[in-house]
Amino acid sequence: MAAAAKFSLIFTSSPGLDHVDPSPTKLGFANFREMSVSCQRNITSALKNLAPIKAMEASRTPPYKVDVEVKPNGRAVTNDSDGSILHETSTNGRRSTNIMWHKCSVEKIDRQELLQQKGCVIWITGLSGSGKSTVACALTQALHARGKLTYILDGDNVRHGLNCDLTFKAEDRAENIRRIGEVAKLFADAGLICIASAISPYREDRDACRSILPDGDFIEVFMDVPLCVCEARDPKGLYKLARAGKIKGFTGIDDPYEAPLNSEIVLHQEGEDCPPPDAMADKVISYLEAKGYLQA
Amino acid sequence: MSTMGNPTNVFWHECAVGKAERQKLINQQGCVVWITGLSGSGKSTLACSLDRELHSRGKLSYVLDGDNVRHGLNKNLGFSAEDRTENIRRVGEVATLFADAGLICIASLISPYRKDRDACRAMLTDANFIEAMLLSELFSVNSVCVLLGKEAIHIIYLQVFMNMTLEVCEERDPKGLYKLARAGKIKGFTGIDDPYEPPLNCEINIEQKDGVCPTPSEMAGQVVSCLDENGFLHACN
Repeated sequence: MAAAAKFSLIFTSSPGLDHVDPSPTKLGFANFREMSVSCQRNITSALKNLAPIKAMEASRTPPYKVDVEVKPNGRAVTNDSDGSILHETSTNGRRSTNIMWHKCSVEKIDRQELLQQKGCVIWITGLSGSGKSTVACALTQALHARGKLTYILDGDNVRHGLNCDLTFKAEDRAENIRRIGEVAKLFADAGLICIASAISPYREDRDACRSILPDGDFIEVFMDVPLCVCEARDPKGLYKLARAGKIKGFTGIDDPYEAPLNSEIVLHQEGEDCPPPDAMADKVISYLEAKGYLQA
Repeated sequence: MSTMGNPTNVFWHECAVGKAERQKLINQQGCVVWITGLSGSGKSTLACSLDRELHSRGKLSYVLDGDNVRHGLNKNLGFSAEDRTENIRRVGEVATLFADAGLICIASLISPYRKDRDACRAMLTDANFIEAMLLSELFSVNSVCVLLGKEAIHIIYLQVFMNMTLEVCEERDPKGLYKLARAGKIKGFTGIDDPYEPPLNCEINIEQKDGVCPTPSEMAGQVVSCLDENGFLHACN
């Protein structure tokens, strides 16, 4: 066990914020005294991941002070000069996280801490009229009531803005989904619970979105509603137009819908009795809660 | 809004939780801070510093960096004039979504063409568009910082009167791109053989003082003050 110790390291330049000279003429040293060898080794190896500390004769930047506390259990904790904890690393020989003496940018973990939730993408897929937008709204309302920040990327709404240059041809559908996936990824990285609601009929395209997100952060919700039920609803009159041949390539009529094979959540409806939107939203919320997305 | 898709198939879905509800939740108003300028002018540095400063005040911000976005959303775009325009358009649209979500979205891109930046400004219906321009040693622009009423805020630019244009950016050359451009290995590089059109009206102007560049935190401070004065750092009453 390492003895407890406290010391400060002072840097004359802040790596990452100012221009870092890739070939510094002078390098600074961190001198560890009264610290266990394993702790020293750990911190030194972490330092290798940082930009070299440049000793500047006339630095315009104020000295950057980092306080390091080595706890009796051997964990080294660094605090930023404003007191916020930068990072912690264990001294058991495996570096679980690097010590960052200076963080250039705000990370996802910081935003999640601020919002008290974890960013993720809830991808709602299903036929037109299956209730995607309805569930998306119910889910947003329920999450908002719990103080969680969400944002809906509705396939239709996005086609008014970002994807206004795309049609409904197969390659444009793919690009539509790709772009929604990339934007959803950005929102998740920002710490939001991003609800993407789009027919997204092709399995390959949905799987491609899944692959760009960290494991577990892509939560697919399949609105498993029979075509006849969707068509009976026909909330936008599109099935009628499709049957009349006025819309070509309409999903479910003359364009395929490839049902998911392994969704995280399936919202199933057999006959005409539709579960209330709140109940469906609750099912998603239970999943989020169980997986820890509703806390930092 | 025009659409090249079939307009009869595409409907607008409203939801009970809107912009106002979100901004009350996180106690801020969403907006876009658009940082424009030559490569090496310090856009990412400011974006990073601003992001940190806002976070330290408990505000939710997010950086859309031209380089990062080009690895994801815009990875199917090149550097032709049309693709640059499309790059900016898409980032503008995404920034609009982020602002709608309640975030302070910091977009940091060269965005060299005035027409494209102006188109982004027009996207945000509340005119919550802050354009920050970083301009190093290339232009002498009369420093009128227009701002701050109910309209949006603008560009941070670094104003230098010098004969050696591009010198600071090129001297920094943080990614080695000027060297490549000068060697003819990159074509159409902004500032070398592709134009940069400086903004005619910006909300925030960042410039060198006595040949000295402001520090990242000074620059961030200038933007944060502007955001604060315009009420973005708390919810609407």
